[in-house]
Parts: sequence; C-alpha cells; structure tokens
Amino acid sequence: MNNDKASLSEMLIVALARTIRDGEVGFTGLATGGAAALYAAAIPLAAMQLARLTHAPNLTILLSGWCLNPQLERIDIMPDSEFDESLHDLPCEAQMLAYPGQYAHKRGDIDFGFSSGVQVDAVGNLNSVCIGDYRRPKVRLVGPILQPEHMAFFQREYIMAPHHDRRNFVERVDYISGVGYPGGVAGRKELGLDWGGPELVFTPKCIFGFDKEHGRMRVHTIHPGVSTEHLRESTGFDLGDLADVPETPLPSPEELEVLRREVDPRGMLTGRRV
Amino acid sequence: MPERTSKLCPLRDAAELVKDGARIAIGGFAIYQHPMAFLHELVRQGRRDLTVVGVANGNDVDLLAGAGCLKRVESSYVGLEKYGLARNFRRKVENGELEIVDYPELLSWDRFRASQENMTFWPASFLGGSDILRYNPDIKEFPCPLTGRRLWAVPPAAPEVVVIHAILGDTYGNVLVPSRRLLPQSLDITLSRSCDTLIVTVERIVDTDEIVRLAHLNEIPAFRTTCIVEVPWGAHPCPVLGHYRTDDAHFREYTGSSHTDEGFQDYLERYVYGIRDHAAYLEAVGMETLTPLKTGDAFPAEPSRQYLPDKRGAAP
Repeated sequence: MNNDKASLSEMLIVALARTIRDGEVGFTGLATGGAAALYAAAIPLAAMQLARLTHAPNLTILLSGWCLNPQLERIDIMPDSEFDESLHDLPCEAQMLAYPGQYAHKRGDIDFGFSSGVQVDAVGNLNSVCIGDYRRPKVRLVGPILQPEHMAFFQREYIMAPHHDRRNFVERVDYISGVGYPGGVAGRKELGLDWGGPELVFTPKCIFGFDKEHGRMRVHTIHPGVSTEHLRESTGFDLGDLADVPETPLPSPEELEVLRREVDPRGMLTGRRV
Repeated sequence: MPERTSKLCPLRDAAELVKDGARIAIGGFAIYQHPMAFLHELVRQGRRDLTVVGVANGNDVDLLAGAGCLKRVESSYVGLEKYGLARNFRRKVENGELEIVDYPELLSWDRFRASQENMTFWPASFLGGSDILRYNPDIKEFPCPLTGRRLWAVPPAAPEVVVIHAILGDTYGNVLVPSRRLLPQSLDITLSRSCDTLIVTVERIVDTDEIVRLAHLNEIPAFRTTCIVEVPWGAHPCPVLGHYRTDDAHFREYTGSSHTDEGFQDYLERYVYGIRDHAAYLEAVGMETLTPLKTGDAFPAEPSRQYLPDKRGAAP
C-alpha cells in the first residue's frame, strides 16, 4: 500500500464518511461525465461504503434510489445510467420494482441524500431548472427532478458541487427547485417543511455548513492550499469573517488504508490509479 | 359463439387516435423504453399542439419538440441523462416556442395515481418555498380539513391518451410485463390505469395461450387496452429492459444532429419523413446494428404447474 498524500477526492470522501451515523439510510443517484459523476455519485458511494466498513455497519445504501445495498466491490466500472443493464444484474439485497416501493420517503425514511445544482445560493436553495428568466431562459436545464423531495423529505441533504465559482455560488438562485433555509429553520417550519434541508456543501475549495438560525451558508472548513481571498473571489455571496475557519481535516492513515484497500481497491470510485 | 374482437391495428391507425391538441402521456422513463416507433409515426402524420404530461422525459419529448409537435410539457425532467441536455427541447423553451410546467418527480408520479383513483387532485405537503408554486397557477393551497396543516392540491395528470411500449401482448390487448421489471416498466403500468384510451405497441404478438401460461405477469388485461400494435424494435434507440440494449451510436447521432434546427431536420428526413413506415426505418437502421443489441429473454419458458395450455384439465 502506498503512502501517498490523500487526494482531494479522498479528503472529501473521508470528511463525508465521518458525518454518517450507524443505522441510517442514504440515497444516491447516478451521473456521468468527469467532475459531475465524481461529486454526484462516486464520492457519496465511497463515503457510504467507508462508513459501513469503519463505524456504520447497519447503513443502508440506496444506489440510484432503487438498488439497496449493492455489492459494489463486484464491479469494475461504475454504471453510468439509472437503469443500466449492468446495474440491473448487480448483486444487491433488494431491488425497488415500483413506486411506491420499499421506503416511505414522505414519512422521512431517508436519512440523507445528495443533490447538485447549477446554482446554489446563500441560504442553500438549489436550482437545476433554468438560468435567467423562467419564461424565456438564457439556458433551460433539465427540471427540478427529485430535488424538491430531497430537500423536503430527507432528514438532511448533502449538496455536492463539482464547480466552485461565482456563477455557481450566487446570492439568489434564478429558480428555487430545492428549498434551503429561507428564514432559517423557523422559516422552513412556516413553509410547512418540518425537517430536512441542506447540511453540508462539498466543493473543490471548501466545505460549507449552515447557520440554521439565520439560514445563511457559512464556511465550515477550507481545503488545504486554498486561500481565504481566493475563496471570496470564487463565491458570489458574502462569506463573513473567515479568520477562525479551520482547514478541512486530512484522512487518518487508517481511514486511507481502508478506503484504498477495501472500499475502492480498483480505483473505480476515486479514479485513483492502481 | 360470437367471436372475440381483435384489437390489433396498424401503427398508422393507432397514431390517428391522437388528435391535434391532445393531452398525452408517453410510456417509458428518461431515455428508457419509450414507444419511439409510435412517436415517429405521430411526427410523420404532422401532429401539432400536443401537451405531454409525464414523470421524467427524454428523447420522447425532445423528438416531438424538434419536430414541432408540441405546445406544452408537464414533467420533472426533460434530458438525455448521459447524452446531455435535450437540445431540441431546450432550444424551443429558450425561444419561447414551448411551454414547460415543472413538477417534482415523485409528485409527477402521484398525479397519475390521482388519475388512477379518479381524484380531482393529489395532496402535497412539501411545496412551500419552491418556485414550482410560483409559476404554476394550477396548484392551489388549502388547509387540511382535519388538522389545519398547509397543503397544496395538485392537478391529476389526466392524460386523454396513453401510449406505452411493451415486450409481449396478444391480439385482444393483454400485455405482459416481466417480473424483473424496474421503475420505467412500473410507470407504464401506472400510466395504463390513468386513462380511457390506451395504445400499446409490443415487440411481439403472441398466442393467448402464452398469456395464460404467464397470467401472473399480465398487468394490463385486455379490457384496458384500446388497441395493440406489433412493432419489433419499437423503442429503438431506447433500450427495452430484459430485451435489448440502448443503441449508443444512434443516440450519439441523434444528439449530434440536434444542436441546430437544420441539423435535426436532416435527422428527421433520414429516419422519419423520408421513410415510409417502421419496416423501412428498421432497414435504414440496419439489422446488423440491431441484432447485437439483443439481451436475454425477459420471459423464460417455465412450465405451467397444473394445466398445460393445449390440454385444459388434463393431468400434466
């Protein structure tokens, strides 16, 4: 086993894995194409698998929302579409064949999920619908998909942002497809959202958390090598005082060992060469 | 004894059941198992002003958008998954030529459940704060009559015509869905129960004995079906789970051509307008392309345990 420094992906995987608790149910989708697939699917899956092997043996993984506890170690290539033939035959503990299926998302069965959006704003709202005016958009995107459900019914949501720039992190999204904390937790309650909402935002530059009372996003940790000036320049809303923000912690040698040797021995998830 | 009526009909006649301005739902999901041959026929017949109501749409809606057949789309997603954005759809929306009404994904499914239950609305509790409400006057807030909780009444999907593609059916309109189904096929089942007019295209028409042998897989009994059409490779270039895979090269040709209106008109000329019917389409695509896409048999031959189909009542 080589003792290379942890990569950015490995650092994010471990930071994420540490926040997963035993007995939870985690929901992940699938995506394709470089950074998008890495953040939307590979990092979440690797983190869940790492959590299972370290401290959360009773975690349930809902791959693609319908494949329960897949035996990922048995495949070499990540399936790249939701109902891929290879995913169909991937050994797992349960396959969801119909909606409604094995879980009752409206009752809060899902503890956490992962969302991405082209825009994320200062209160954690997400947008995957359009850029510009809704009726005559500059760019029409795919639509809200399952984001409204993720951001309302899941106990917490991790926002996975493959790109961290001013055009992605904006003061106000052009369309709210996933609701963050407008007015904080109290504001969500008034809107009828009794639980849930974004918990952490993972980007290539930092990890954001939330001041849930006021509903603002705030920098939780900054990745090693990223300056506070650069972070401010890359973010379209005010980050406040960054003086006491710690660095994102590196994986322990033990965590790296399990991640590299057991979770992803072939580099399918982290893209790590072996 | 009077004879039972066959519901078998040619693709052309089936497509005529969808009138200009109709509100339709299309089977399949995202880029899986859409009744593409049927949609090609709609395009060939020059249908206009359609509304598509769906859950998650892909090249089905994108094709109709690019061919100018659509007025409005109600869905949670219109995209081509790993093949990127649905470019015809995107262009039409950005130009203001196509109205899109956005709904959350599972709530879109619930809208079909509302139609199946013949309810005038589906209650949703989670729309507060979302721009779904801001741009959709059809959704109305109301207090729960029992608890006072804020709820929203969401209109049912209410499709006038539903079109789905399946693997096997018989001439009377019985349709089998494999036991190893996934959400795209389950959605087809829900759609089939949400409407009065149901068109089913199938890969193969089989004898009713075959339906009887696999009666536990008959999710769409004959009485629900308005007409049934035999269309081998009828979902191409989409996959039919348990039957054939995605035609990846064709999808790339499709997306490549849909960057511009002109490019897409060329595609339509090649595969729709310049083609007489589905048989000619299969010739244009080529069996040498199609045959390698075949996968396993979704309906493995399993002997009937008690009754043999041709000797009813006889001991096995």
